[in-house]
Amino acid sequence: MLKKIAIGSILIFFMTPCLQDTYGRVYIDIDSPSLPKFPIAITDFYCPVDREGHSIWFPDQLGKFLKLTGYFQIIDKKAFLDTGTGGIRFADWTAIGAESLVKGAVRNEGNILSSDFHLFDVTQGKSLVFKRYTGTARDKRAMVMRFASEIMLALTGEAGVFDTRIAFAGKKGKNSEIFTINFDGTDLTRLTNYRALSILPHWSPDGRRISFTSYKRGNPDLFVIEARGGPDHLLSNESGLNLCGPWSSDGRSLLVTLSRDGNEELYVFNQLNGKKYRLTNDASIDVSPCWSPDGTKVAFVSNRSGSPQIYVMDANGYNVKRITYEGNYNTSPRWSPKGDKIVFEGMRGGNFQILTMNPEGGQLTQLTGSGRNDSPSWSPDGRYIAFVSTTGGKSRLCIMNSNGSNFRIIHSGMDKYMYPNWSPHLNF
Amino acid sequence: MRKRSLLFIFFALILSFSLAFSVGCAKKAAVKEGEEKQLSPEKKAEAEQAAKEQAVKEAEKKDAEAAAAIAGFDYIYFDFDKYNVKPEARETLKKLANYLNANPAAGVRVEGNADERGTAEYNLALGERRAQSAAKYLMGLGIAKKRISTISYGEERPVDPGHTEEAWAKNRNAHFVLTGK
Repeated sequence: MLKKIAIGSILIFFMTPCLQDTYGRVYIDIDSPSLPKFPIAITDFYCPVDREGHSIWFPDQLGKFLKLTGYFQIIDKKAFLDTGTGGIRFADWTAIGAESLVKGAVRNEGNILSSDFHLFDVTQGKSLVFKRYTGTARDKRAMVMRFASEIMLALTGEAGVFDTRIAFAGKKGKNSEIFTINFDGTDLTRLTNYRALSILPHWSPDGRRISFTSYKRGNPDLFVIEARGGPDHLLSNESGLNLCGPWSSDGRSLLVTLSRDGNEELYVFNQLNGKKYRLTNDASIDVSPCWSPDGTKVAFVSNRSGSPQIYVMDANGYNVKRITYEGNYNTSPRWSPKGDKIVFEGMRGGNFQILTMNPEGGQLTQLTGSGRNDSPSWSPDGRYIAFVSTTGGKSRLCIMNSNGSNFRIIHSGMDKYMYPNWSPHLNF
Repeated sequence: MRKRSLLFIFFALILSFSLAFSVGCAKKAAVKEGEEKQLSPEKKAEAEQAAKEQAVKEAEKKDAEAAAAIAGFDYIYFDFDKYNVKPEARETLKKLANYLNANPAAGVRVEGNADERGTAEYNLALGERRAQSAAKYLMGLGIAKKRISTISYGEERPVDPGHTEEAWAKNRNAHFVLTGK
């Protein structure tokens, strides 16, 4: 992580003016309900002296990044008609179904590695984006990631989530540690090594810190740690539960669940003055709070009606309204970044599945259907959902597009994955 | 300009190579020194290890004795998504209260647990409720509040790791552990 951020800052960028005219048109409308995959061709990169296999590695890695978004179909190289090195014959690309084309070149001069990426609209026969990145061989992954973001920006209007990570609790035996991992499943990093139960990681809005709950001192207490690792700091150790919830957008406060008064209640915990402002006052279980993106409302889980259901209240604790009525077990609400949806898990047909609804409880849509799927978390652009999927007793950390399509496994092999929490943009 | 930067890279490379080389040498020297002095620290480590093992054994023995003292009335069970003390649990709680009355130096930690079928965070709350309703029942039987502590492990400490109705029934419990003897 640390390295990557440093690399980002030493990359040198050259922008060409042709960038401007790409922003007018959205090639891929992400919000369209049935989205055909956008066909894109990526040629081998031109690399005169290619000892490291860059000519193949660059297009392959770019293809992998684009595939992960779930929006692209990478056209098989075997279908290519235009294999010449001269001018581009656009008709040869439209003939094989391509709508976009990426060509590139890599140059090695001593320690310096520079790469050119060029995105074309082949139906209109014009250049959309050209970028040149200069660094060392260690920066090549970051270069490809940057251009994948450029392609997303040019074709969808938003840069995507290549610079994000997912935090989660990974269980081994009786204990769990806090981990983070890149959105594409690379660079797994363990943040804690307490040999205790550590759970409920939540990123700060600037992506620098992660708060969580840990039993490392016996009681489930609240801690915060630098997202790149380091010593932790104790935030709250009230008797009973100190369950970590999301941060406020200004980074000052945390939503927490405390049971210090004999039953679980929700509080806003101000980290600056240490004060805890109580939001709920009910003899039943109140747990799993989250803010609406504008901070005016809080969704949470309560069993005040007899079973766990999702409720919404004003951010000061007034005007509590139940919003789920279908099914007798609905938990883990998370408000979408745009504010138009709440994702949650509900018992459906004897197992937990992930569903979305609008903040009034309408437009219920079930996104998953087989096995057990729980603990949803939105990507910062709201286009993806990270979650835990369990089939045949095997737990896996997964992501899918926010309409339920393009299920893919990010990590597997731990005894149990819990509480995935998607980072904000980290700009690496 | 370019020549100068290439020159710089060249020197940086030489410098890093020589650094790596000297670090390697230092390591070798350190290992040798360690070999010569190994007798006393090894014995010390052995003694420390033995003391540690002894302490762990003693703690385990103490735990086992404490567990044996209340064996048969150290668990009560709950229905799915419920935390009310069931009629059949009352007898168990009475036995435990009798033991605590007869052993006024003993305290009890009530550990609340849930089965895996619920969701993890909600189950932490549910486990807390189970621990607290058991604690309240004990207080009702005359055990002082200060002798009782509660903690919830949610679904993370199953007694039975299975995925059957039978396993789940065992995992929805409040577990009593003697403390402060």
